Amino acid sequence: MAELTLRSVYKNYGEVPVIKGVDLDIGHGEFVVFVGPSGCGKSTLLRMIAGLEDISGGEIRIGDRIVNDVEPRDRGVAMVFQSYALYPHMTVYDNVGFGLKLANTPKDVRDRKIREAARVLQMEHLLDRRPAQLSGGQRQRVAIGRAIVRQPDVFLFDEPLSNLDAALRGDMRIELARLHHDLGATMIYVTHDQVEAMTLGDKIVVLDGGIVQQVGSPLELYNNPTNLFVAGFIGSPRMNMLPGHVDDLIDDQVRISVDGASLTLPLPFGSVSKGDSITLGIRPHALVVSPDGPLSGTVQLIEQLGNETVVRVRLKASELTVVLPGQGNFVVGSPVSLGFALADIHLFNADKKRVRRPS
Amino acid sequence: MTDTISSGPGAPKPALRPSQRRGSRKATMTASLFIAPAAIAYAAFVLVPLGMSFYYSLLRWDGIGEARFHGLTNYITVLTDSDLLQIIGNAFQLVLYFTIIPVGLGLAVASAIRGQMAGRFGTVTRTVLFLPQVIPLVAAGIAWSWMFASTGLVNQTLKAIGLSSWARGWLGDFVWALPAVGIIGAWVLLGLCTMLLVTGITKIDTSLYEAARLDGARPWHEFRYITLPGLRQEIGVCITVTVIAALASFDIVYISTQGGPGITTTVPGLEIYRLAFAHRQVGLASALAIVLMVLVLISIAPVQWFTRDKK
Amino acid sequence: MRTAAPNTLVARGLIILLMIVTLLPFLSMLSAALAPQGTYPNGLQWPADPQWGNFVKAFEVAKMDQLLLSSALIVLGVVPVAVLIATMAGYGLAKLTTNKYKWLYLVFVFGLTLPFEAVITPLYYEVRALGLLNTRFAIILPLIGLYMPFGVYWMRAHFLNVPHDLTEAAQLDGATRWKEFVLVQVPLARPAIMSLTILLFLWTWNQFLLPVVLVQDPMQRTMAGALGAFQGQWGTDIPLLCAGSLLILTPTVVLFLIFQRQFVAALMQGAVKG
Repeated sequence: MAELTLRSVYKNYGEVPVIKGVDLDIGHGEFVVFVGPSGCGKSTLLRMIAGLEDISGGEIRIGDRIVNDVEPRDRGVAMVFQSYALYPHMTVYDNVGFGLKLANTPKDVRDRKIREAARVLQMEHLLDRRPAQLSGGQRQRVAIGRAIVRQPDVFLFDEPLSNLDAALRGDMRIELARLHHDLGATMIYVTHDQVEAMTLGDKIVVLDGGIVQQVGSPLELYNNPTNLFVAGFIGSPRMNMLPGHVDDLIDDQVRISVDGASLTLPLPFGSVSKGDSITLGIRPHALVVSPDGPLSGTVQLIEQLGNETVVRVRLKASELTVVLPGQGNFVVGSPVSLGFALADIHLFNADKKRVRRPS
Repeated sequence: MTDTISSGPGAPKPALRPSQRRGSRKATMTASLFIAPAAIAYAAFVLVPLGMSFYYSLLRWDGIGEARFHGLTNYITVLTDSDLLQIIGNAFQLVLYFTIIPVGLGLAVASAIRGQMAGRFGTVTRTVLFLPQVIPLVAAGIAWSWMFASTGLVNQTLKAIGLSSWARGWLGDFVWALPAVGIIGAWVLLGLCTMLLVTGITKIDTSLYEAARLDGARPWHEFRYITLPGLRQEIGVCITVTVIAALASFDIVYISTQGGPGITTTVPGLEIYRLAFAHRQVGLASALAIVLMVLVLISIAPVQWFTRDKK
Repeated sequence: MRTAAPNTLVARGLIILLMIVTLLPFLSMLSAALAPQGTYPNGLQWPADPQWGNFVKAFEVAKMDQLLLSSALIVLGVVPVAVLIATMAGYGLAKLTTNKYKWLYLVFVFGLTLPFEAVITPLYYEVRALGLLNTRFAIILPLIGLYMPFGVYWMRAHFLNVPHDLTEAAQLDGATRWKEFVLVQVPLARPAIMSLTILLFLWTWNQFLLPVVLVQDPMQRTMAGALGAFQGQWGTDIPLLCAGSLLILTPTVVLFLIFQRQFVAALMQGAVKG
């Protein structure tokens, strides 16, 4: 069993802190995705787990062993690099088998394992080639194959798909999911792409500024983002954010005004006070055209995607993105009114934290 | 499985654990093991001798008997003795030939041919022009001693074109021996500089020349404003290599003139050798050696500074 | 707009002229080498009766076979060791050290412009103290040290360009630093190592100052050093001297003609980086 535990893990480059105290529990066989904008510390965190970066403070456990001072090769981890990092002078066969060779695995065992990995990844015909003779997708397979043969407790992926074109990326995503299912190993996957995160992860860790913003299943993050950062990061197109303030509190009702519109919402007592600044978040897919909707503006831009229509609507002081099903009939410059279900709105306070909705 | 998450800048900053220092100490150990052999060889046969050179330079010592501390007297001698100053001057005169001829001719060829050195012609050219780089300098010295000899090819040519009065034993001539030695050095370095500059010019974007021509640039302008700046690094390399070759020359002079006639072609390298091993003035030889090293450094520094990529 | 055409002609003419100037000394030597012994030949004049036997005589007089062996022994003593330890140090400085050890690299680089003459006097006393004077080790050991600035500089520049990912992949694959060096880095560095080997071979084979100062017996010297002695002995017999010189420069020229491309590349990069 290979559980992975991080306890108040810190990382400083000189005086500059890049990981500011991360606590995390990863269960055996979980597929965990670290996601965040570039520079958020996600790759650093992964590399600390791999043992490629020193740990400035805290403790990392793999299984029941503290691995802070364990060499990377002894941690039972394998990593797939963004650049693949295949050895250019070795054939695919030797690339995949290099780790086994170093571990003095008998030749026949080695051969069996290499061929088994090649079979799983459908790259048996590539074994005699060198990396330079492979396409991007094939190199990717080799890199994964190299990880598989070592039968590690934990697989680490550092943005492995970012050098592939969009179509191939989709294929590899499916393949990785299948691989995870087949191997049942713990996998940690770093990406800046929230779509990859949503589709691959059992559990997503959203990082920003070296701090864990939220951990949860894809749908938890989508439905209940704990703060403005997560709300904006997860979901595509981005959630609309409308600044406003609390006008009045009446019993368990709150009246707020956003961009000229006045809304009355049921909220638990004490969650906001009169005069507070708030931000109202609504996902583009949650908006509907409704003649008596509270938000009205003019159509700025129309993008017909065939299956749905993306409309930019200009309100008094801000703009909204609206995604409507089907091929809507809109005219640029014409007025439009938008409505939404109360259950679909997210409210954030001045500290950018979510205000709890009525249950 | 529960997710227990708490993170934030408020958490205390932990102290460095001792075991981590152990890890980095191990990395330092590994690095030392890789670097040590080279460092030891370098220290034993370059740094220590250099230190000894400096130490000797402060002594009056014949290499056998007792050495006496001599202060900076040797340095004062190097910088005031008229013979030694002439010898240092000779080295700088050689720079004129070793550097200016190869760089000038190389630039002329490079800007005329502008990088069309592909194919068979290119291969033959490269092979021939690099020959002088491959043979020992001593062989170049012997070959040119013969070229400059009284019945050698140079005089033969002069006679053939009716300039018999110019013919002379070049390397024995008080006026012409030093230029003749300079020509030998130029011959050795010419091919290398030419090829470096020809290769360098191919890296200049040809559309720059086309743009300049549309802007009304004449060939001279193209050379001045595109070729020269574009070749700045290569020119710097050529100057560096040739200046060091001139200031630290030894082999060619030793073979072709032995420094004569008189001391007209003696260079510091040769004089160090003579002082230390023939005249047994180890202290003075060492002071000259240190001065030579410093002269090379201060001659090269501005070239490096001017031709460095300024970004 | 092909205004370049006349320029190309001028340039080709210039280059051909340069090539002639480059080759003339060799041809002049060849013609002199074929003149009858004891005569005083003319600069460039094909002798009526070419004395090819002069080369045989020169070969015997110069003891070329012993010289070749001596040079080869010195090259074998210097080049493999120098290349190996320079490669190790280059790797160590490029991949195993942080900026804190930049000074160490700078100390090596300081030696790049050092004229050998600056250390030749103390080297003599040092080699004498080691009891190595007049042996081939008097040339071999100092040369290894003297090549370190260039060798380390050269290999470090190469290793700096190797992606760091490869190092990390090797670490995760379970390689120790030494294994990574031998199995991953060195095979990848082959072109750089090849160039360094060529340059060090040439510099050793052609080394003159060290043999002249440190080794009396020409038979223990390099080719170039022996040539100096040969000239001292036979300087007045022009045909023999020219024949001997041509023989002595043949080995490197032959190797150069065979490996023309690698030599040219090495010499050019060597100049640029050195």
